[in-house]
Amino acid sequence: MEKIEQVDLSVNLAGLKLKNPVMTASGTCGFGEAYEDFFSPAALGALVVKGVTLQPRKGNPTPRLVETAAGLLNAIGLENPGVETVLAEYLPPLASYNVPVIVNISGNTLEEYGELAARLSTCSVVKGIEVNISCPNVKEGGIAFGSHPATAAKVVRVVKANTDLPVIVKLSPNVTDIVEMALAVEEAGADALSLINTLLGMAIDIKKRQPILANVTGGLSGPAVKPVAVRMVWQVAQRVKIPLIGLGGIVTAADALEFIMAGATAIAVGTGQFVNPRCCVEVIAGLAEYCRANEVKKISELRGVAWNGGK
Amino acid sequence: MWKRVKYHVPDALVVSQRQTGTNIYTLTIACREIATEAKPGQFVHLRCSSGLDPLLRRPFSIYQVERKEGLVSFCYQVVGKGTKLLSRVKEGTFLDVMGPLGHGFETELCGKRVGLIGGGLGIAPLIFLGQELAKNNEVQGFWGGRSKVMMPQLAVTSDFPYFLATEDGSAGHRGLVTELVEQWLQQETPDQLYACGPRPMLAAVAQLARSKEIPLQVSLESVMACGVGACLGCICEKAGADEEKRLKVCQDGPVFWAEEVQWDGEN
Repeated sequence: MEKIEQVDLSVNLAGLKLKNPVMTASGTCGFGEAYEDFFSPAALGALVVKGVTLQPRKGNPTPRLVETAAGLLNAIGLENPGVETVLAEYLPPLASYNVPVIVNISGNTLEEYGELAARLSTCSVVKGIEVNISCPNVKEGGIAFGSHPATAAKVVRVVKANTDLPVIVKLSPNVTDIVEMALAVEEAGADALSLINTLLGMAIDIKKRQPILANVTGGLSGPAVKPVAVRMVWQVAQRVKIPLIGLGGIVTAADALEFIMAGATAIAVGTGQFVNPRCCVEVIAGLAEYCRANEVKKISELRGVAWNGGK
Repeated sequence: MWKRVKYHVPDALVVSQRQTGTNIYTLTIACREIATEAKPGQFVHLRCSSGLDPLLRRPFSIYQVERKEGLVSFCYQVVGKGTKLLSRVKEGTFLDVMGPLGHGFETELCGKRVGLIGGGLGIAPLIFLGQELAKNNEVQGFWGGRSKVMMPQLAVTSDFPYFLATEDGSAGHRGLVTELVEQWLQQETPDQLYACGPRPMLAAVAQLARSKEIPLQVSLESVMACGVGACLGCICEKAGADEEKRLKVCQDGPVFWAEEVQWDGEN
């Protein structure tokens, strides 16, 4: 039996060469600094930073979080310092990590998406734009753009017209037909897709007889949503030509492998980091270990391997 | 400048776990990294079970540190699923811990007279603080709670004197701890106050400190997910001109100067 010494974990994500398929999910690691004491962002395939808007946003009132069975409901409301401060203060230090940085953007209008893309493209640290059309926790923009294929496609066209960087579109699972959404944004020029954002949910305090979150509803993440996310990746990956980033409840390398076998090129760890601060690097190590144990030379060979069994 | 040193220790040995009151437990773990670095007011983010439900860690203020032995203790109350599971953790098993996290209390004082005001489990971090401060300062504790059995064990506080108040009169003054503090402040003018406890108690102490112009540091409590400033789940309102900015309890705190915190409508 041939023993594999060196496993190739690298993947090509819409022209971005990632040394491994593990990324952070936007809004779960700040600008890379939050978990620096636990692992270096340099170990990641790519660093996806906190969602950015044109103007600073204060976010929603508290409570913003509530834990549910194997999950977390959040309604942060895109709190961020605004693109100007992000460009001046937050992005430049990331150059030292030597890791591709992807910035997640949200706009209230089509023009805002365009301006955000244009301004962020001037920063050499930024290697990709993730378009958030799926935040369930803000009144304007966000999910309003991600609920209808035609509107989503418009956002993608505007962003594409304002940047030469790869454009990743983060889709909402809160739609009737995820494949229709994916096909619409692919047609509009998206270079990759992130699947899935959080599932709209809520929880009620039975003592106070009122919703727990100040925003009433929030986005559900964590292991509770993983089966839904794997299913959506499975459905979309078989219909689009562009690569997918799979995310939703990944805590272990086994979780990540499910997404890859369902058709994801890369994966992102979000809430999993809150459970285990070294989750990302442990997933990377676990993927290599799986490949060695199963004589897989390149992780990319595993992409979509489960499709055969599903026919 | 605060030195940033945080550790993730997935296998900290549980040295002891004792029930010390009504639903109150004292847990001691062996964790040299945290015991060496911990400052009073900092917290440890701890997984109550190895499963995925409950999913998130729970933040616990540090109650006692034995630096030489590498031991760290917490005092907690069983309030939900996580703490219930934690209370079943046996000596000799292992816990997954992260810490020390957050900004602790300012302790660079010498030759000063200070007052510590703790309510319920909020007494716990002040015991660690008091022990540190008592080395170079004159420390007076004020401990309050609903009942004696609802407070951390106080036998360890022999380093400095304290007054007790309980709402049911089971120990010390019958009533609120803030009543004792108010009386004390009529006779004494301490250089600094420190408080940790329920929000109404903190608001009352903040008002007392403001009226007497005594600097006060408060340790706030919040629901947290990440514990390291990533998720923005635990923010609190900031007072003053810079109020557009919000404070992250986990990273900017949990200890704040009272004037940084927005107390509107609370006192």
